[in-house]
Amino acid sequence: MAKIIIVILLTLCFSKADIYEQNCVTCHQQIPVSIDKFFYRYLLKYSSQRAVKVALFDYLKEPSKDKTVMPEAFILRFDIKKASTLNDKELKEAIDIYWDKYQVFGKLK
Amino acid sequence: MLALKNWDIDLIRSEKRTLLGFFSLYMILCLIILCFFTFIYYSFQKDLLLQEKRVELQNYTSDFTLRLKDLHINFDKYKYYPRDERYNSAIFDSDKKEIFSTLKSKNVDLKKVIYLTQDDKIHFITQPESYYLGTKYVVIEISQNRNWIEELFDFLFYFNGSIFIIMLIIGYFLLNILIKPMKDALYLLDRFIKDTTHELNTPVSTIVSNIEMIDKDNLDEKLKKKITRIDIGAKTISNIYDDLTYLTLNNKIVSQNKNFDLSYILKQRLEYFKTLANVKKIVFIKEIQENIFIYIDEKKISKLIDNLLSNAIKYNKIAGFIKITLKKNSLIIEDSGKGMTKEELENLFIRYRRFDKSVGGFGIGLNIVSMIAKEYNLEVVFSSEINKGTKVEVKWQK
Repeated sequence: MAKIIIVILLTLCFSKADIYEQNCVTCHQQIPVSIDKFFYRYLLKYSSQRAVKVALFDYLKEPSKDKTVMPEAFILRFDIKKASTLNDKELKEAIDIYWDKYQVFGKLK
Repeated sequence: MLALKNWDIDLIRSEKRTLLGFFSLYMILCLIILCFFTFIYYSFQKDLLLQEKRVELQNYTSDFTLRLKDLHINFDKYKYYPRDERYNSAIFDSDKKEIFSTLKSKNVDLKKVIYLTQDDKIHFITQPESYYLGTKYVVIEISQNRNWIEELFDFLFYFNGSIFIIMLIIGYFLLNILIKPMKDALYLLDRFIKDTTHELNTPVSTIVSNIEMIDKDNLDEKLKKKITRIDIGAKTISNIYDDLTYLTLNNKIVSQNKNFDLSYILKQRLEYFKTLANVKKIVFIKEIQENIFIYIDEKKISKLIDNLLSNAIKYNKIAGFIKITLKKNSLIIEDSGKGMTKEELENLFIRYRRFDKSVGGFGIGLNIVSMIAKEYNLEVVFSSEINKGTKVEVKWQK
């Protein structure tokens, strides 16, 4: 019984991670700037968890030059990304995973 | 109040209460003003202290922000929060959530820029130009020596204490200015009575002594009646004269206290008032124990009895009675008069207060009774019932 529960939990975890890994990391691996650099740019501009998540969601739904946190040179070279094909729920899940992976709370020594 | 004593003037209870009320109000007002200025001065001193520390704190903040910026850039390489032995610090995000803190005082008010905490720490809050690691608020904390506040409180205590004493003295003089017109009026009244009694002395003495010399047995009935009326009138004037003299010279008369036979004095006084009582057909019911002695001034106890008897006759009904009971430690005088209300009973001893203006008098009799009772620790208890009568009980120690 315990084994079944562990398997279910692991499956759930991986399926959640998959949304982020499959839909975010795979694309970002193709560009020379690592995905964490984007996170710290968002943090630098929006500060709190709530504000960062709202800004990420807005941008991924409707990417534009006005909303981007990246410098102009970066946009000129890589252009603005296309809007995410994920539905709202999946996108929020992916953003949550992204936040948990790079957020600073509890990591400072 | 000392000044009043020197003037031989007694203020009545309500006047004393008004003056006390005014004085209390004045002192409360002074205290409020002092508290207000204390608060202003304390705030000013605190602001001054914080301004002095501000430059130092700004330097620490610049240093900290630089190190935070460096940490933000290199966060993937190391995650050591910038620390310094000169100060403690904390960082908060835009939702005021604590990211990291080394503060000793945990109560942080992010709405303020600089403030002193209850545990003697100074907090200085700034916002960096960018949200390094999500930091919207940087809090720098330094310790403040407790001496400054102790010195400040010491200064405020002595300063306010001195001001309060000065205000107290000013209040005393203000009070004297306030009651001066009242004192003047009472002084004038007393002065008038003093002068009047002085002028009455000779004629009253002449009338009384001459009536006493008349041999009433040899007079015809008609003339005897007339002489009796003159006798009553003269005794009434004599009684008023005695009262006024006592009142105006009371503080200057030295008491000659001795062990007196009160039974004998009482009988004497009843004899004296017999003529007065006869006019209203009032009967004396005497229950006088023999050989009751009391250590007192004879004139004063006579005055006390005279005033009580005089009132009992004055306010009695025609053909009424006065019951006089003398026991070991008390003298009771009961009359069958119209009685008094509760309010009248409360204001009984006030000088110049008269309840029934249809009968004569100045309203000083019971004031004298109260003065004598106070001097010899006598307890005077009045009880009265409307249309039934009044009972006065004078008690003394064994």
